[in-house]
Amino acid sequence: MLENLFVGIAQWLRALLGGVGVPVEINEAIVMLVKLVAILVFILINALWLVYMERKVAAYMQARIGPNRVGPKGLLQTTADIGKLISKEIIIPKKADIAVFLISPVLIFVPTLMVFAVIPFGKNMAAIDMNIGVFYLLAIASLSTMIFWMGGWASNSKYSLIGAMRVVAQMVSYELPLVLGLLGVIMIVGSMNMSDIIAAQEHTWFIFTQPVAFLIYFAAAVAETNRCPFDLVEGESEIIAGPYTEYGGMAFAMYFLAEYANIMVICAMATIMFFGGWHAPFGLTFIPSWVWFFLKMYALIFIVMQLRWTYPRIRVDQLMGFSWKVLVPLALANIFITGIGMKIYQAMGW
Amino acid sequence: MFGKGLIKGLQITWKEFWAPKLTVQYPDEQHTVPERFHGRFVLDVDKCIACGLCANACPNKVISIEKQKVGKKQYMTGYKMKIQYCLFCGLCVESCNKDALHFSKDFNMNQYFYRDIPLVLVEREAPAEPLEEEEPAAKAGDKEKPKPKPKAKAEKPAEPAAQTEVAAGKASDKEGQ
Repeated sequence: MLENLFVGIAQWLRALLGGVGVPVEINEAIVMLVKLVAILVFILINALWLVYMERKVAAYMQARIGPNRVGPKGLLQTTADIGKLISKEIIIPKKADIAVFLISPVLIFVPTLMVFAVIPFGKNMAAIDMNIGVFYLLAIASLSTMIFWMGGWASNSKYSLIGAMRVVAQMVSYELPLVLGLLGVIMIVGSMNMSDIIAAQEHTWFIFTQPVAFLIYFAAAVAETNRCPFDLVEGESEIIAGPYTEYGGMAFAMYFLAEYANIMVICAMATIMFFGGWHAPFGLTFIPSWVWFFLKMYALIFIVMQLRWTYPRIRVDQLMGFSWKVLVPLALANIFITGIGMKIYQAMGW
Repeated sequence: MFGKGLIKGLQITWKEFWAPKLTVQYPDEQHTVPERFHGRFVLDVDKCIACGLCANACPNKVISIEKQKVGKKQYMTGYKMKIQYCLFCGLCVESCNKDALHFSKDFNMNQYFYRDIPLVLVEREAPAEPLEEEEPAAKAGDKEKPKPKPKAKAEKPAEPAAQTEVAAGKASDKEGQ
């Protein structure tokens, strides 16, 4: 029953609306709306939880306890923080481009939310099962570069501008190894549909057949989300908070929460592409598929957080060099070898 | 091998993640205070002879002693410390001949109002007539119980001061939380 919990809810809703006599088209539209709202709520709650988790992980790695006063075990800490940030004044710099300045923190969540529509959280649990899912995800996710740039440019401050320029340079550079890393998997599956990719991993996860691709993807994805050790964008010691420097209160919090939502996207993506999505390992199928998906996703998120609290920030030239001199050639070599391997297997008649 | 250090770093943070935590949840639990900690001052009024050595020893002139002559003896009516200027160097404690002044382990001396900061260790009225020479008698025999009576009388006025001090201490505890 748990296995089909969410699918069951959707069916129940359809049946309910059908019973009342709502036309099929409107019925479907309402169900889709409910699905998207559910995803929205899920992401926002998850972003809150991830901020708390980050602080706890950081604390535990530094022999501290972390937030533990607000709510049970400090669970409501982020909620309290957000409450405080909402109540703060929105300060607009005198020379800022007001319209762009204000719209950019609103838009920052849009690509992330759009991306989540195609992610299958469990068996038959993708809101939209798109046949070019991976392509759609990568295309939409790279839009966030522009929104960072909007915020940085509109602030009209040198720190914001430098930060925004770094965002553009970094995200454009790392887009390439990210996509090239995923290409190996897509070549093997022969499809960009996420459900097909997950179905292809029923017996062997792609982490075992494409380990180099996973490392490339993961490094590039961490850089994509501007996380440490690639967090030059908001390198506090150099440029205060990068593109967010001039933002305060909830506008800043939106950027902050979007960062965590982005981490969720890249980890969900890694789960789908390399860790078998919602497939249960070792035949432990009595645990629902969506639980497996979230377990894998959170394990990866933990690793991303661990990276942040382990490594120091790298320099800008090292960052660029790592992308163009290490990751891109490696990814191209991986694609080349994958292609040769596939041909050899085909010749062997597999 | 290239990248070995990265793995090592992750291993270290992973180990630290499960290591016991050092945080002490302060108001709920406290570190044990060292044996020789320099905390709030405690004065044993019965031992003190109001000689003023502690006040002289103080580099910051923190201690002010008020005394009256009652009969042949000096009777201390006030012992106040402007604790905001105190270094907690311990020269006063060292200088005490009678071993009357001590440090306690109470470090929580913050106050809500400035006027509450000075530490009042003794504040009492001098008795009108000299106390009878009780002390040699007390040394001679401790069977007779009515003896402490005059002493108790003498101490009675001191009690409110002691109470205020305790109250201040309690207030400071609340402050700390």
